[in-house]
Parts: sequence; C-alpha cells; structure tokens
Amino acid sequence: MSILSYNGAAIMAMKGKNCVAIAADRRFGIQAQTVSMDFDKVFEMGPNLFIGLPGLATDVQTVLARLKFRLNMYELRENRRIKPKTFMSMVSNLLYERRFGPYFVEPVIAGLDPKSGEPYIASMDLIGCPMETNDFVVSGTCSEQMYGMCESLWEPDLAPDDLFETISQALMNAFDRDAVSGWGAVVYIIEKDKVTKRMLKTRQD
Amino acid sequence: MATVNMMTSGFSPAMAVPQMHGMGFEGMDTEVSTGTTIMATEFDGGVIIGADSRTTTGAYIANRVTDKLTKVTDYIYCCRSGSAADTQAVADIVKYHNDFHRMEMGEQPLVKTVAHMFKQLCYDYRDQLTAGIIVAGWDKRNGGQVYSIPISGMLQKMPFCTGGSGSTYIYGFVDSQFKPKMTKEESLQFVSKAVSLAINRDGSSGGIIRLAAISKDGVERFTLTGDQLPKFYEDS
Repeated sequence: MSILSYNGAAIMAMKGKNCVAIAADRRFGIQAQTVSMDFDKVFEMGPNLFIGLPGLATDVQTVLARLKFRLNMYELRENRRIKPKTFMSMVSNLLYERRFGPYFVEPVIAGLDPKSGEPYIASMDLIGCPMETNDFVVSGTCSEQMYGMCESLWEPDLAPDDLFETISQALMNAFDRDAVSGWGAVVYIIEKDKVTKRMLKTRQD
Repeated sequence: MATVNMMTSGFSPAMAVPQMHGMGFEGMDTEVSTGTTIMATEFDGGVIIGADSRTTTGAYIANRVTDKLTKVTDYIYCCRSGSAADTQAVADIVKYHNDFHRMEMGEQPLVKTVAHMFKQLCYDYRDQLTAGIIVAGWDKRNGGQVYSIPISGMLQKMPFCTGGSGSTYIYGFVDSQFKPKMTKEESLQFVSKAVSLAINRDGSSGGIIRLAAISKDGVERFTLTGDQLPKFYEDS
C-alpha cells in the first residue's frame, strides 16, 4: 500500500489560447472504499490562480491551510496579487522545508499572470521539485493513464470551449482505468475576465 | 540474484523479473485480482446470478468488461472472485471433471455434485489459492440452488449469496430486500440493484453488470451498461 495512493486522486491542468484549465476527480476514499463523492481537491488561491492537491487527504487539507496563510501574508506585505510563477516557488519552498518527512501531496498549479494575462501551468513532486511546461501537467494515482490521454488529445492554442472538451475527455478516460479515482469530476476554465466551473457527469464506479 | 523456486506459494511475477520491481512497474508485483462483487439468488423456477466486470492489477483496471460468470455445465455456472488466475484454473479443472462425469452418467450432473467438486479443490489447495466462488444452477431433482464456497473452502447451500470485496457494502441491503420465492423479474431487479450499490462504493468493482438466469429452459444472459445501471441518491 503506497501512501500516495491511500486516498486516490486524479488532477490535470492544460494551457490553451489565453486561457488555462484545471480539472480533478471528486472521490474521497479509504483504499478501496469510497466514502464521499464531493471532496474538493482544486482550490482558488487568487482570482485567476488555482492549485490542485492530489495525494494523502489529510495533507491536502494541511498544505492548503498553511499555503493560504503564507499567501495572505504575502498579499498583505506586498499589497498586490501574487504572480503564478512566484506562487509556484512558494509552494516548492513549503514542501522542501519538509524534505525528510514530507507532505504526501504532488501539487498542480494553473493560472494567468495578473497583469499580462499570460497562461501558466506547473506541477511538482512531493518534496517541491517544480516542473513548468507549455502543454499540460498531470498528477495523481492514474498519472500514466493521464499522460497517455493528454499526449494524444492535446494540441496548442485551443479556445476555451475546445479546451474544456479536451481536458474533460482526457481526465475522464484516464480515471476510468483507475480503481481509486473518479466518482465525479470538476473542471475550471480560467480566462482573463471570468472563471467557469463545470461538474462532469461521470461513471460512479 | 534470487533463485526462483516455482513451488513456493508466494510466487509473484516480480521475483522472476528482478529488474522490473520497484522501477515504476507497480503492476508487476501485484496479482491480477477480480476484487469484485458477485451474487446469486434462488427464484421460483431457477437461479439468477450477477457480477460486475472489473479486473484490477493493483489500482490499474486491467479489464473493464470481464466476464466473471463462467459456464461449468449447460445448467450450472460459477461466479468467480479473488485471484483471476486461481479461479480460472479451478473452474477449468471442474469443467473437465464434469465433461467426464456427463459422459459416464449420460445425464446432466446435480448442482450439489459440481459444488462439491469445487469445494474439494478449494479446500485441498486452500494454502495456495485465493478463490471465493459461488456455484449456482438448476437440476431436475432439486430445481434452482445456490452454493457458497468462500476463501478457505467451506461449502454452504443458501437461498441467496453475495461475495467479493464489494459484498461487504450490501449486506444490509440484501438482508432487508430478499424474499423467498420471488419471480424471475423481481430477482433480476434485486441482483442488479445490489450489484449497482456495491459498484458505487467499492473501488475494486465497476464497469457493467452481467446477469444470467438459469432455469429448466437453459441459460439466458443479460448485460446492463451505462445508463441501464440502477441509480440511487447522488447529490450532484
């Protein structure tokens, strides 16, 4: 039993034309048993900045709380919204502080630069090694399945509606091949002036 | 370099391929398992059997359209749970014994006889097998019967039975909803609702619901896919 697959999760983010999308499943389970189907794993950190936290559920909640505290302090001191790239460094630092007794989460970050609106996505491992990409990032118990789906379906410069279809199909078909993720999905499409949150109707198995 | 002893009961593919272990190939050192939901129930005139269709290697779903309802004779089926390899091997051996039996006796075997053949294998090799089997069928002497053979090889005749990892979530449901002498339609509803509830909660069960009705007229098979699965309260 691996600690990172104790609760099960599937999260991915994709870049589109002047937009980003982040999507996650909604299952909270304890090994094979599903306890609830409305567990949030994607959180808003700013008007155009979201973080997805797959992994051990208790650490999802703790990392979220600690991160929110640091972010609030940053915004009070700097008196401005944080840039996505800086936020990524903040998360990385928080995780590396626990290098030898880590939080069991492998976050996914998606957002738009507050001034220029440029799309940004990144992911990192449980001790904070960041990876910034120009196409997509995935994290969770079915990451291999998600890589396969994204690699096949993603193309550059997708419009928001097309990006929604692409990320939805990639996520759903990936977690349908994983016994510990699924049971519902939520997709956020983040554009300069609006964020659209949609729930997907998925298989409940 | 570990020597591979084929006789040990703890054989796993990872021992034979040492370089595969722990290098991202997590599926190589977990057995293929039909962590599952299976069920059988008597009705007035025969038996209904049902199962989900998921086979997993660890958390990866290796097959999402598995057929866990295996024919042993024209009128007797078994529902398989536990190790996929073990249950397939045991069912093949019992099928062979029954083909022989039918040639010798000139008529279909009793469900009780087939159930005892399963039990003998599951009990004698209990240390090497992980097999939970439900034997269900129809014969002309005793009509529809259900026999449960859980992991260590005990045999018990029951009016209805559930098995597999998903069965733990539906004990309350089946205990409250079962009635003796239901009609074929009522029994099909009973089994499909129960399996659907288990699929909803158990990570190791899922996919489609396969059903079969066995009576004096033979075997009739059904499949419930997608929207045909019974639905229950979901708040989103």
